[in-house]
Amino acid sequence: MNATLTRDAGLLGGLIAAAHEAGLTVRSAAAWPAGPDDALPSLPGFVDSTFSPLVAAVAARCLSHREPADPTALVLLSPLGDVATAVHLAHAVDHGERVGPLLFFQSVPNAVAGHVAARWGLRGPVVCLSADASGLAAAALLLADGDADAALVIVADQAPPGSAATDRAAAVLVTAVTPVTAVTGGKAS
Amino acid sequence: MPDARPPAAVTGVAAVSALGPDAETLLAGALAGTPAFAPVRRFDVAGRRVQVAATAPGHPDLAGELAGVVDRACAAAGLDADARRDIPLLLAVHAHPAMARAGDRAPLTAAAFAHALAVRCGLAGITRAYTSACVAASTAVADAAAMLALGHADRVIVAGGYLVDPDQFAVFDAGRALARDGQVRPFSAGRGGILLGDGVAAVVLETPAAAARRAAPVLAHVAGWGRAGDAFHVCQPRPDAAVPARAIAAALARAGVDAGAVGYVNAHGSGTAASDAAEAAALRAALGDVAATVPVSSTKSVHGQALEASGLLELVVTVLALRAGALPVNAGYRDRDPDCPLNVVTEPRAARPDYALSLNSAFGGANTALLVRAA
Repeated sequence: MNATLTRDAGLLGGLIAAAHEAGLTVRSAAAWPAGPDDALPSLPGFVDSTFSPLVAAVAARCLSHREPADPTALVLLSPLGDVATAVHLAHAVDHGERVGPLLFFQSVPNAVAGHVAARWGLRGPVVCLSADASGLAAAALLLADGDADAALVIVADQAPPGSAATDRAAAVLVTAVTPVTAVTGGKAS
Repeated sequence: MPDARPPAAVTGVAAVSALGPDAETLLAGALAGTPAFAPVRRFDVAGRRVQVAATAPGHPDLAGELAGVVDRACAAAGLDADARRDIPLLLAVHAHPAMARAGDRAPLTAAAFAHALAVRCGLAGITRAYTSACVAASTAVADAAAMLALGHADRVIVAGGYLVDPDQFAVFDAGRALARDGQVRPFSAGRGGILLGDGVAAVVLETPAAAARRAAPVLAHVAGWGRAGDAFHVCQPRPDAAVPARAIAAALARAGVDAGAVGYVNAHGSGTAASDAAEAAALRAALGDVAATVPVSSTKSVHGQALEASGLLELVVTVLALRAGALPVNAGYRDRDPDCPLNVVTEPRAARPDYALSLNSAFGGANTALLVRAA
Protein backbone atom coordinates (compact mmCIF):
# COMPACT_ATOMS: atom_id res chain seq x y z
CA MET A 1 0.00 0.00 0.00
CA ASN A 2 1.19 3.53 -0.57
CA ALA A 3 1.47 5.72 2.45
CA THR A 4 -0.47 8.86 1.55
CA LEU A 5 -2.71 8.32 4.54
CA THR A 6 -4.75 9.70 6.25
CA ARG A 7 -6.53 12.15 8.38
CA ASP A 8 -9.68 10.17 7.91
CA ALA A 9 -8.78 6.66 8.88
CA GLY A 10 -12.45 5.98 9.63
CA LEU A 11 -13.72 5.87 6.06
CA LEU A 12 -10.57 4.24 4.67
CA GLY A 13 -10.26 1.92 7.64
CA GLY A 14 -13.79 0.72 7.03
CA LEU A 15 -13.03 0.11 3.36
CA ILE A 16 -9.86 -1.85 4.12
CA ALA A 17 -11.68 -3.89 6.75
CA ALA A 18 -14.45 -4.67 4.27
CA ALA A 19 -11.83 -5.80 1.74
CA HIS A 20 -10.21 -8.13 4.24
CA GLU A 21 -13.59 -9.46 5.31
CA ALA A 22 -14.35 -10.24 1.67
CA GLY A 23 -11.07 -12.13 1.38
CA LEU A 24 -9.48 -9.59 -0.98
CA THR A 25 -5.93 -8.25 -1.03
CA VAL A 26 -5.50 -4.46 -0.85
CA ARG A 27 -2.82 -3.34 -3.36
CA SER A 28 -3.11 0.39 -2.82
CA ALA A 29 -5.17 2.73 -0.66
CA ALA A 30 -5.80 6.42 -0.33
CA ALA A 31 -8.02 8.92 1.43
CA TRP A 32 -9.18 12.43 0.60
CA PRO A 33 -8.50 14.69 2.35
CA ALA A 34 -5.25 13.34 3.72
CA GLY A 35 -4.50 16.51 5.66
CA PRO A 36 -5.74 20.01 6.38
CA ASP A 37 -3.91 21.41 3.35
CA ASP A 38 -5.55 19.12 0.81
CA ALA A 39 -7.29 21.43 -1.66
CA LEU A 40 -9.59 19.70 -4.12
CA PRO A 41 -8.50 20.41 -7.72
CA SER A 42 -11.30 21.39 -10.08
CA LEU A 43 -12.22 18.89 -12.78
CA PRO A 44 -12.76 20.31 -16.30
CA GLY A 45 -16.26 19.61 -17.58
CA PHE A 46 -17.80 19.23 -14.14
CA VAL A 47 -19.46 22.19 -12.40
CA ASP A 48 -21.28 23.30 -9.25
CA SER A 49 -20.47 20.25 -7.12
CA THR A 50 -17.47 18.71 -5.36
CA PHE A 51 -18.65 15.14 -5.97
CA SER A 52 -16.88 14.40 -9.26
CA PRO A 53 -13.64 16.24 -8.33
CA LEU A 54 -13.62 14.30 -5.04
CA VAL A 55 -13.93 10.95 -6.85
CA ALA A 56 -11.26 11.87 -9.41
CA ALA A 57 -8.83 13.09 -6.71
CA VAL A 58 -9.04 10.02 -4.50
CA ALA A 59 -8.77 7.72 -7.54
CA ALA A 60 -5.64 9.51 -8.73
CA ARG A 61 -4.09 9.29 -5.27
CA CYS A 62 -4.81 5.56 -5.10
CA LEU A 63 -3.56 4.70 -8.60
CA SER A 64 -0.60 7.04 -8.97
CA HIS A 65 1.85 4.47 -7.57
CA ARG A 66 0.18 1.36 -8.83
CA GLU A 67 -0.53 0.31 -12.41
CA PRO A 68 -3.85 -1.51 -12.37
CA ALA A 69 -4.32 -4.94 -13.90
CA ASP A 70 -6.40 -5.30 -17.06
CA PRO A 71 -9.32 -5.46 -16.86
CA THR A 72 -9.85 -3.53 -13.64
CA ALA A 73 -13.42 -2.82 -12.53
CA LEU A 74 -14.53 0.50 -11.09
CA VAL A 75 -16.98 0.28 -8.20
CA LEU A 76 -18.18 3.67 -6.97
CA LEU A 77 -19.96 3.63 -3.62
CA SER A 78 -21.76 6.76 -2.47
CA PRO A 79 -24.68 6.88 -0.03
CA LEU A 80 -26.39 9.89 -1.66
CA GLY A 81 -24.53 10.13 -4.98
CA ASP A 82 -23.88 13.66 -6.22
CA VAL A 83 -26.22 15.33 -3.74
CA ALA A 84 -25.09 18.88 -4.58
CA THR A 85 -25.92 18.41 -8.27
CA ALA A 86 -29.30 16.86 -7.40
CA VAL A 87 -30.17 19.77 -5.10
CA HIS A 88 -28.93 22.36 -7.59
CA LEU A 89 -30.99 20.78 -10.38
CA ALA A 90 -34.15 20.53 -8.27
CA HIS A 91 -33.80 24.21 -7.29
CA ALA A 92 -33.36 25.26 -10.92
CA VAL A 93 -36.42 23.26 -12.00
CA ASP A 94 -38.61 24.53 -9.14
CA HIS A 95 -37.67 28.17 -9.76
CA GLY A 96 -37.78 28.13 -13.54
CA GLU A 97 -34.05 28.82 -13.82
CA ARG A 98 -31.90 27.75 -16.74
CA VAL A 99 -30.49 24.22 -16.48
CA GLY A 100 -26.92 24.14 -17.80
CA PRO A 101 -26.04 21.48 -20.39
CA LEU A 102 -23.12 20.17 -18.30
CA LEU A 103 -25.60 18.95 -15.70
CA PHE A 104 -26.85 16.47 -18.31
CA PHE A 105 -24.18 13.86 -17.80
CA GLN A 106 -23.16 15.04 -14.35
CA SER A 107 -26.55 13.99 -12.98
CA VAL A 108 -25.43 10.34 -12.80
CA PRO A 109 -22.38 8.97 -10.95
CA ASN A 110 -21.33 7.04 -14.07
CA ALA A 111 -20.02 10.25 -15.60
CA VAL A 112 -17.08 10.70 -13.26
CA ALA A 113 -16.65 6.94 -13.18
CA GLY A 114 -16.17 7.13 -16.94
CA HIS A 115 -13.70 9.96 -16.49
CA VAL A 116 -11.65 7.91 -14.03
CA ALA A 117 -11.85 4.78 -16.19
CA ALA A 118 -10.65 6.69 -19.25
CA ARG A 119 -7.86 8.47 -17.36
CA TRP A 120 -6.45 5.27 -15.91
CA GLY A 121 -7.39 2.79 -18.63
CA LEU A 122 -9.79 0.73 -16.50
CA ARG A 123 -11.66 -1.55 -18.94
CA GLY A 124 -13.60 -3.63 -16.46
CA PRO A 125 -17.22 -3.20 -15.42
CA VAL A 126 -18.40 0.19 -14.11
CA VAL A 127 -20.78 -0.22 -11.15
CA CYS A 128 -22.26 2.56 -9.00
CA LEU A 129 -24.09 1.74 -5.80
CA SER A 130 -25.80 3.72 -3.06
CA ALA A 131 -23.71 2.22 -0.26
CA ASP A 132 -21.02 2.70 2.33
CA ALA A 133 -17.91 0.53 2.56
CA SER A 134 -20.06 -2.59 2.89
CA GLY A 135 -20.82 -2.21 -0.82
CA LEU A 136 -17.33 -3.54 -1.45
CA ALA A 137 -19.03 -6.95 -1.50
CA ALA A 138 -20.16 -6.04 -5.03
CA ALA A 139 -16.52 -5.79 -6.10
CA ALA A 140 -15.77 -9.16 -4.52
CA LEU A 141 -18.62 -10.65 -6.54
CA LEU A 142 -17.26 -9.17 -9.81
CA LEU A 143 -13.81 -10.63 -9.13
CA ALA A 144 -15.24 -14.04 -8.22
CA ASP A 145 -17.42 -13.98 -11.33
CA GLY A 146 -14.45 -13.22 -13.59
CA ASP A 147 -15.35 -9.96 -15.38
CA ALA A 148 -12.30 -8.23 -13.85
CA ASP A 149 -8.91 -9.14 -12.37
CA ALA A 150 -8.84 -6.18 -9.99
CA ALA A 151 -11.24 -3.52 -8.77
CA LEU A 152 -10.80 0.11 -7.82
CA VAL A 153 -13.38 0.64 -5.07
CA ILE A 154 -14.14 4.24 -4.15
CA VAL A 155 -16.34 5.48 -1.32
CA ALA A 156 -17.37 9.09 -1.90
CA ASP A 157 -19.33 10.71 0.90
CA GLN A 158 -20.31 14.20 -0.19
CA ALA A 159 -21.74 16.42 2.53
CA PRO A 160 -25.31 17.52 1.73
CA PRO A 161 -25.58 21.28 1.10
CA GLY A 162 -26.19 23.15 4.36
CA SER A 163 -24.98 20.32 6.58
CA ALA A 164 -22.08 20.64 9.02
CA ALA A 165 -20.36 17.58 7.58
CA THR A 166 -17.39 17.76 5.22
CA ASP A 167 -16.69 15.90 2.00
CA ARG A 168 -14.56 12.79 2.36
CA ALA A 169 -13.55 9.89 0.20
CA ALA A 170 -11.46 6.75 0.31
CA ALA A 171 -10.27 4.30 -2.33
CA VAL A 172 -8.69 0.87 -2.44
CA LEU A 173 -7.33 -1.15 -5.34
CA VAL A 174 -8.17 -4.77 -4.56
CA THR A 175 -7.48 -8.12 -6.14
CA ALA A 176 -8.35 -11.67 -5.33
CA VAL A 177 -5.62 -13.33 -3.30
CA THR A 178 -3.06 -13.90 -6.09
CA PRO A 179 -1.03 -10.75 -6.86
CA VAL A 180 -1.65 -9.49 -10.39
CA THR A 181 -0.42 -5.90 -10.25
CA ALA A 182 3.08 -4.48 -10.37
CA VAL A 183 4.57 -1.42 -8.73
CA THR A 184 5.59 1.03 -11.42
CA GLY A 185 6.40 4.12 -9.42
CA GLY A 186 4.74 6.12 -12.18
CA LYS A 187 1.39 6.74 -13.71
CA ALA A 188 -0.63 4.28 -15.70
CA SER A 189 -1.30 5.05 -19.33
CA MET B 1 -13.12 -15.09 -21.01
CA PRO B 2 -15.06 -16.35 -17.99
CA ASP B 3 -15.89 -20.02 -17.53
CA ALA B 4 -19.28 -21.47 -18.41
CA ARG B 5 -21.76 -21.09 -15.54
CA PRO B 6 -25.12 -22.58 -14.64
CA PRO B 7 -28.04 -20.40 -15.80
CA ALA B 8 -30.51 -18.48 -13.66
CA ALA B 9 -34.15 -19.51 -14.05
CA VAL B 10 -36.66 -16.68 -14.52
CA THR B 11 -39.74 -17.74 -12.56
CA GLY B 12 -41.73 -14.52 -12.26
CA VAL B 13 -41.91 -11.15 -14.02
CA ALA B 14 -44.02 -8.03 -13.66
CA ALA B 15 -43.85 -4.60 -15.29
CA VAL B 16 -45.57 -1.23 -15.58
CA SER B 17 -44.93 1.09 -18.52
CA ALA B 18 -46.64 3.79 -20.55
CA LEU B 19 -48.00 0.96 -22.71
CA GLY B 20 -50.07 -0.27 -19.78
CA PRO B 21 -50.23 -1.40 -16.16
CA ASP B 22 -48.81 -4.90 -16.66
CA ALA B 23 -46.28 -6.97 -18.56
CA GLU B 24 -48.91 -8.20 -21.04
CA THR B 25 -49.67 -4.70 -22.33
CA LEU B 26 -45.93 -3.98 -22.50
CA LEU B 27 -45.44 -7.09 -24.65
CA ALA B 28 -48.44 -6.33 -26.85
CA GLY B 29 -47.17 -2.81 -27.55
CA ALA B 30 -43.67 -4.08 -28.30
CA LEU B 31 -44.86 -6.82 -30.66
CA ALA B 32 -47.16 -4.42 -32.51
CA GLY B 33 -44.59 -1.63 -32.57
CA THR B 34 -46.96 0.92 -31.07
CA PRO B 35 -45.07 3.90 -29.60
CA ALA B 36 -46.45 5.34 -26.36
CA PHE B 37 -45.06 8.87 -26.77
CA ALA B 38 -47.35 11.81 -26.11
CA PRO B 39 -47.20 15.36 -24.76
CA VAL B 40 -46.19 15.37 -21.09
CA ARG B 41 -49.04 16.21 -18.69
CA ARG B 42 -47.45 15.01 -15.44
CA PHE B 43 -45.49 18.24 -14.87
CA ASP B 44 -44.86 21.56 -16.55
CA VAL B 45 -42.69 21.29 -19.66
CA ALA B 46 -43.26 24.84 -20.89
CA GLY B 47 -39.96 26.25 -22.12
CA ARG B 48 -38.41 22.87 -22.86
CA ARG B 49 -37.17 22.23 -26.41
CA VAL B 50 -39.01 18.89 -26.45
CA GLN B 51 -42.28 18.27 -24.59
CA VAL B 52 -42.92 14.58 -25.27
CA ALA B 53 -42.35 11.38 -23.27
CA ALA B 54 -43.92 7.96 -22.70
CA THR B 55 -45.79 8.31 -19.43
CA ALA B 56 -48.45 6.27 -17.69
CA PRO B 57 -51.58 8.24 -16.70
CA GLY B 58 -51.63 10.43 -13.61
CA HIS B 59 -48.98 10.79 -10.92
CA PRO B 60 -47.86 7.30 -9.98
CA ASP B 61 -45.77 6.88 -6.83
CA LEU B 62 -42.46 5.09 -7.38
CA ALA B 63 -42.39 3.25 -4.03
CA GLY B 64 -45.96 2.03 -4.52
CA GLU B 65 -45.38 0.95 -8.12
CA LEU B 66 -42.20 -0.92 -7.13
CA ALA B 67 -44.00 -2.71 -4.30
CA GLY B 68 -46.73 -3.63 -6.79
CA VAL B 69 -44.36 -5.22 -9.33
CA VAL B 70 -42.38 -7.08 -6.64
CA ASP B 71 -45.62 -8.49 -5.21
CA ARG B 72 -46.91 -9.50 -8.63
CA ALA B 73 -43.60 -11.06 -9.73
CA CYS B 74 -43.47 -13.07 -6.48
CA ALA B 75 -47.09 -14.16 -6.92
CA ALA B 76 -46.39 -15.21 -10.52
CA ALA B 77 -43.42 -17.22 -9.28
CA GLY B 78 -45.59 -18.85 -6.62
CA LEU B 79 -43.66 -17.39 -3.68
CA ASP B 80 -45.83 -16.89 -0.60
CA ALA B 81 -44.93 -14.71 2.39
CA ASP B 82 -42.92 -17.47 4.09
CA ALA B 83 -40.90 -18.23 0.98
CA ARG B 84 -40.07 -14.56 0.41
CA ARG B 85 -38.54 -13.97 3.80
CA ASP B 86 -34.86 -14.61 3.05
CA ILE B 87 -34.70 -13.38 -0.55
CA PRO B 88 -32.15 -10.66 -1.42
CA LEU B 89 -33.45 -7.59 -3.28
CA LEU B 90 -31.30 -5.80 -5.85
CA LEU B 91 -32.93 -2.49 -6.81
CA ALA B 92 -32.00 -0.20 -9.72
CA VAL B 93 -33.06 3.39 -9.10
CA HIS B 94 -31.75 6.90 -9.73
CA ALA B 95 -31.99 8.11 -6.14
CA HIS B 96 -34.39 8.26 -3.20
CA PRO B 97 -37.27 10.17 -4.86
CA ALA B 98 -37.58 12.62 -1.92
CA MET B 99 -33.87 13.35 -1.46
CA ALA B 100 -33.33 16.42 -3.64
CA ARG B 101 -36.17 18.43 -2.05
CA ALA B 102 -35.94 17.26 1.56
CA GLY B 103 -34.77 19.25 4.58
CA ASP B 104 -32.65 16.56 6.21
CA ARG B 105 -31.22 14.71 3.22
CA ALA B 106 -28.66 12.47 4.88
CA PRO B 107 -31.06 9.58 5.67
CA LEU B 108 -32.65 9.65 2.20
CA THR B 109 -30.24 7.38 0.36
CA ALA B 110 -31.22 5.07 -2.48
CA ALA B 111 -30.03 2.25 -0.22
CA ALA B 112 -32.57 3.32 2.42
CA PHE B 113 -35.27 3.42 -0.28
CA ALA B 114 -34.33 -0.14 -1.30
CA HIS B 115 -34.40 -1.30 2.30
CA ALA B 116 -37.85 0.22 2.85
CA LEU B 117 -39.11 -1.55 -0.29
CA ALA B 118 -37.74 -4.86 0.98
CA VAL B 119 -39.46 -4.40 4.35
CA ARG B 120 -42.73 -3.40 2.67
CA CYS B 121 -42.60 -6.52 0.48
CA GLY B 122 -41.63 -8.90 3.28
CA LEU B 123 -38.12 -9.53 1.95
CA ALA B 124 -35.60 -9.76 4.77
CA GLY B 125 -32.47 -10.72 2.85
CA ILE B 126 -29.71 -8.29 1.89
CA THR B 127 -30.62 -5.30 -0.24
CA ARG B 128 -28.45 -3.41 -2.68
CA ALA B 129 -29.24 -0.21 -4.63
CA TYR B 130 -27.69 0.17 -8.10
CA THR B 131 -27.40 3.73 -9.44
CA SER B 132 -25.26 3.11 -12.57
CA ALA B 133 -27.61 5.03 -14.91
CA CYS B 134 -28.82 3.01 -17.93
CA VAL B 135 -26.96 -0.18 -16.95
CA ALA B 136 -28.11 -0.15 -13.31
CA ALA B 137 -30.80 -2.81 -13.78
CA SER B 138 -28.90 -5.00 -16.23
CA THR B 139 -25.86 -4.94 -13.93
CA ALA B 140 -28.13 -5.97 -11.06
CA VAL B 141 -29.42 -8.90 -13.16
CA ALA B 142 -25.85 -9.97 -13.99
CA ASP B 143 -24.90 -9.76 -10.32
CA ALA B 144 -28.00 -11.72 -9.31
CA ALA B 145 -27.15 -14.45 -11.83
CA ALA B 146 -23.58 -14.52 -10.51
CA MET B 147 -24.82 -14.77 -6.91
CA LEU B 148 -26.92 -17.79 -7.90
CA ALA B 149 -24.17 -19.42 -9.98
CA LEU B 150 -21.56 -18.96 -7.23
CA GLY B 151 -23.85 -20.39 -4.55
CA HIS B 152 -24.41 -17.14 -2.63
CA ALA B 153 -28.20 -17.47 -2.84
CA ASP B 154 -30.92 -19.79 -4.14
CA ARG B 155 -33.21 -17.00 -5.21
CA VAL B 156 -32.85 -13.24 -5.88
CA ILE B 157 -35.39 -10.55 -6.77
CA VAL B 158 -34.24 -7.77 -9.08
CA ALA B 159 -36.41 -4.66 -9.33
CA GLY B 160 -35.96 -1.36 -11.09
CA GLY B 161 -38.00 1.77 -11.40
CA TYR B 162 -37.99 5.08 -13.20
CA LEU B 163 -40.99 7.37 -13.60
CA VAL B 164 -40.53 10.36 -15.90
CA ASP B 165 -39.78 13.32 -13.63
CA PRO B 166 -39.18 17.05 -14.11
CA ASP B 167 -35.51 16.97 -13.04
CA GLN B 168 -34.24 14.29 -15.43
CA PHE B 169 -36.50 15.69 -18.17
CA ALA B 170 -34.85 19.08 -17.68
CA VAL B 171 -31.27 17.78 -17.89
CA PHE B 172 -31.90 15.59 -20.92
CA ASP B 173 -33.59 18.55 -22.60
CA ALA B 174 -30.72 20.86 -21.63
CA GLY B 175 -28.25 18.31 -22.97
CA ARG B 176 -30.12 18.33 -26.31
CA ALA B 177 -30.52 14.57 -26.02
CA LEU B 178 -34.28 14.44 -26.67
CA ALA B 179 -35.73 13.75 -30.14
CA ARG B 180 -37.36 16.91 -31.47
CA ASP B 181 -39.63 15.00 -33.84
CA GLY B 182 -41.30 13.19 -30.95
CA GLN B 183 -40.28 9.67 -32.00
CA VAL B 184 -37.38 7.38 -31.14
CA ARG B 185 -35.90 5.86 -34.31
CA PRO B 186 -33.16 3.42 -33.32
CA PHE B 187 -30.67 2.48 -36.08
CA SER B 188 -32.66 4.50 -38.67
CA ALA B 189 -31.38 7.20 -40.96
CA GLY B 190 -32.53 10.53 -39.58
CA ARG B 191 -32.75 9.42 -35.95
CA GLY B 192 -32.82 12.37 -33.61
CA GLY B 193 -32.25 11.17 -30.05
CA ILE B 194 -33.97 9.62 -27.10
CA LEU B 195 -37.27 10.15 -25.34
CA LEU B 196 -37.83 9.29 -21.70
CA GLY B 197 -40.36 6.67 -20.65
CA ASP B 198 -41.81 5.18 -17.47
CA GLY B 199 -40.58 1.75 -16.55
CA VAL B 200 -41.06 -0.21 -13.33
CA ALA B 201 -40.30 -3.92 -13.36
CA ALA B 202 -39.39 -6.88 -11.15
CA VAL B 203 -37.98 -10.30 -11.95
CA VAL B 204 -37.59 -13.39 -9.77
CA LEU B 205 -34.40 -15.35 -10.52
CA GLU B 206 -33.62 -18.76 -9.02
CA THR B 207 -31.09 -21.52 -9.41
CA PRO B 208 -32.60 -24.19 -11.69
CA ALA B 209 -32.37 -26.62 -8.76
CA ALA B 210 -34.27 -24.29 -6.42
CA ALA B 211 -36.96 -23.74 -9.04
CA ALA B 212 -37.24 -27.48 -9.68
CA ARG B 213 -37.50 -28.31 -5.94
CA ARG B 214 -40.71 -26.34 -5.66
CA ALA B 215 -41.91 -27.13 -9.19
CA ALA B 216 -41.92 -23.42 -10.06
CA PRO B 217 -42.89 -22.34 -13.58
CA VAL B 218 -39.75 -21.42 -15.57
CA LEU B 219 -40.42 -18.65 -18.10
CA ALA B 220 -36.87 -18.54 -19.51
CA HIS B 221 -33.26 -18.65 -18.34
CA VAL B 222 -30.62 -15.97 -18.04
CA ALA B 223 -28.00 -18.24 -19.55
CA GLY B 224 -25.13 -15.76 -19.83
CA TRP B 225 -24.13 -12.28 -18.72
CA GLY B 226 -21.26 -9.90 -19.27
CA ARG B 227 -20.20 -6.45 -18.07
CA ALA B 228 -17.36 -4.28 -19.36
CA GLY B 229 -16.23 -0.65 -19.53
CA ASP B 230 -15.07 1.53 -22.42
CA ALA B 231 -12.27 3.42 -20.65
CA PHE B 232 -12.88 6.04 -23.31
CA HIS B 233 -15.01 9.06 -22.41
CA VAL B 234 -17.43 10.52 -19.88
CA CYS B 235 -20.46 10.22 -22.15
CA GLN B 236 -19.38 9.25 -25.69
CA PRO B 237 -19.26 5.58 -26.76
CA ARG B 238 -15.99 4.11 -27.90
CA PRO B 239 -16.09 4.06 -31.74
CA ASP B 240 -13.99 0.90 -32.13
CA ALA B 241 -16.61 -1.27 -30.40
CA ALA B 242 -14.08 -3.42 -28.59
CA VAL B 243 -15.59 -3.13 -25.14
CA PRO B 244 -19.31 -3.74 -25.69
CA ALA B 245 -18.15 -6.66 -27.83
CA ARG B 246 -16.29 -7.96 -24.76
CA ALA B 247 -19.50 -7.87 -22.70
CA ILE B 248 -21.31 -9.89 -25.39
CA ALA B 249 -18.43 -12.36 -25.66
CA ALA B 250 -18.48 -12.87 -21.88
CA ALA B 251 -22.23 -13.56 -21.96
CA LEU B 252 -21.78 -16.15 -24.73
CA ALA B 253 -18.85 -17.74 -22.87
CA ARG B 254 -20.81 -18.09 -19.63
CA ALA B 255 -23.63 -19.76 -21.55
CA GLY B 256 -21.17 -21.97 -23.43
CA VAL B 257 -22.62 -21.12 -26.86
CA ASP B 258 -21.26 -19.36 -29.94
CA ALA B 259 -22.59 -16.37 -31.84
CA GLY B 260 -24.59 -18.54 -34.22
CA ALA B 261 -26.93 -19.49 -31.38
CA VAL B 262 -28.25 -15.93 -31.03
CA GLY B 263 -31.62 -15.60 -32.77
CA TYR B 264 -32.70 -12.12 -31.65
CA VAL B 265 -31.05 -9.02 -30.21
CA ASN B 266 -32.98 -6.59 -27.99
CA ALA B 267 -30.53 -3.75 -28.53
CA HIS B 268 -29.73 -0.83 -26.28
CA GLY B 269 -30.73 1.20 -29.37
CA SER B 270 -31.05 4.59 -27.73
CA GLY B 271 -31.90 6.37 -30.98
CA THR B 272 -28.90 8.70 -30.89
CA ALA B 273 -26.58 8.86 -33.89
CA ALA B 274 -23.27 7.92 -32.26
CA SER B 275 -24.56 5.37 -29.77
CA ASP B 276 -26.52 3.31 -32.32
CA ALA B 277 -23.60 3.26 -34.78
CA ALA B 278 -21.24 2.16 -32.00
CA GLU B 279 -23.64 -0.59 -30.99
CA ALA B 280 -23.91 -1.84 -34.58
CA ALA B 281 -20.10 -1.99 -34.72
CA ALA B 282 -20.03 -3.85 -31.40
CA LEU B 283 -22.49 -6.42 -32.71
CA ARG B 284 -20.30 -6.88 -35.78
CA ALA B 285 -17.19 -7.31 -33.62
CA ALA B 286 -18.88 -9.78 -31.26
CA LEU B 287 -21.08 -11.79 -33.60
CA GLY B 288 -19.16 -11.59 -36.91
CA ASP B 289 -21.27 -12.38 -39.97
CA VAL B 290 -24.23 -13.24 -37.72
CA ALA B 291 -24.58 -9.49 -37.00
CA ALA B 292 -25.76 -8.83 -40.55
CA THR B 293 -28.58 -11.36 -40.38
CA VAL B 294 -29.76 -11.75 -36.77
CA PRO B 295 -33.02 -9.83 -36.17
CA VAL B 296 -32.42 -6.70 -34.06
CA SER B 297 -34.82 -4.23 -32.47
CA SER B 298 -34.80 -1.62 -29.74
CA THR B 299 -38.00 -1.52 -27.74
CA LYS B 300 -37.05 1.94 -26.50
CA SER B 301 -38.81 2.94 -29.72
CA VAL B 302 -42.13 2.07 -28.05
CA HIS B 303 -41.66 2.38 -24.25
CA GLY B 304 -38.95 5.05 -24.21
CA GLN B 305 -35.75 5.30 -22.20
CA ALA B 306 -36.47 4.18 -18.63
CA LEU B 307 -32.93 5.09 -17.45
CA GLU B 308 -31.96 3.01 -14.39
CA ALA B 309 -34.87 0.59 -15.00
CA SER B 310 -34.43 0.13 -18.75
CA GLY B 311 -32.38 -3.07 -18.62
CA LEU B 312 -35.05 -4.82 -16.57
CA LEU B 313 -37.99 -3.57 -18.65
CA GLU B 314 -36.19 -4.82 -21.77
CA LEU B 315 -35.35 -8.16 -20.15
CA VAL B 316 -39.06 -8.66 -19.38
CA VAL B 317 -39.94 -7.83 -23.01
CA THR B 318 -37.29 -10.26 -24.26
CA VAL B 319 -38.39 -13.12 -21.97
CA LEU B 320 -42.06 -12.70 -22.90
CA ALA B 321 -41.31 -12.33 -26.64
CA LEU B 322 -39.43 -15.65 -26.62
CA ARG B 323 -42.49 -17.24 -25.04
CA ALA B 324 -44.88 -15.53 -27.46
CA GLY B 325 -43.03 -16.73 -30.56
CA ALA B 326 -42.80 -13.23 -32.02
CA LEU B 327 -40.17 -10.49 -32.20
CA PRO B 328 -40.58 -6.95 -30.84
CA VAL B 329 -40.79 -4.27 -33.52
CA ASN B 330 -38.30 -1.40 -33.85
CA ALA B 331 -40.82 1.43 -34.29
CA GLY B 332 -40.02 4.72 -35.98
CA TYR B 333 -37.66 3.19 -38.54
CA ARG B 334 -37.56 5.15 -41.79
CA ASP B 335 -34.48 4.36 -43.88
CA ARG B 336 -31.34 2.30 -43.69
CA ASP B 337 -28.30 4.01 -42.18
CA PRO B 338 -25.04 2.71 -43.68
CA ASP B 339 -23.49 3.03 -40.21
CA CYS B 340 -26.04 0.53 -38.84
CA PRO B 341 -25.92 -2.47 -41.25
CA LEU B 342 -28.33 -4.61 -39.24
CA ASN B 343 -31.41 -6.75 -39.90
CA VAL B 344 -33.76 -4.38 -38.07
CA VAL B 345 -37.24 -5.75 -37.25
CA THR B 346 -39.55 -3.10 -38.69
CA GLU B 347 -42.78 -5.11 -38.93
CA PRO B 348 -44.40 -7.72 -36.67
CA ARG B 349 -42.56 -10.99 -37.22
CA ALA B 350 -43.08 -14.53 -35.92
CA ALA B 351 -39.97 -16.36 -34.72
CA ARG B 352 -38.96 -18.80 -31.99
CA PRO B 353 -35.27 -18.28 -31.34
CA ASP B 354 -33.57 -20.38 -28.66
CA TYR B 355 -31.38 -17.50 -27.48
CA ALA B 356 -31.80 -13.73 -27.39
CA LEU B 357 -29.37 -11.01 -26.30
CA SER B 358 -30.49 -7.99 -24.29
CA LEU B 359 -27.89 -5.19 -24.45
CA ASN B 360 -27.51 -1.98 -22.46
CA SER B 361 -25.00 0.87 -22.39
CA ALA B 362 -24.64 3.92 -20.19
CA PHE B 363 -22.67 7.06 -19.54
CA GLY B 364 -19.22 6.34 -18.31
CA GLY B 365 -18.74 3.69 -20.99
CA ALA B 366 -20.52 0.96 -19.05
CA ASN B 367 -21.82 -1.95 -21.15
CA THR B 368 -23.81 -5.06 -20.26
CA ALA B 369 -25.05 -8.10 -22.16
CA LEU B 370 -27.66 -10.59 -20.93
CA LEU B 371 -28.21 -13.80 -22.90
CA VAL B 372 -31.72 -15.19 -22.47
CA ARG B 373 -32.50 -18.82 -23.30
CA ALA B 374 -36.05 -19.88 -24.07
CA ALA B 375 -37.54 -22.28 -21.53
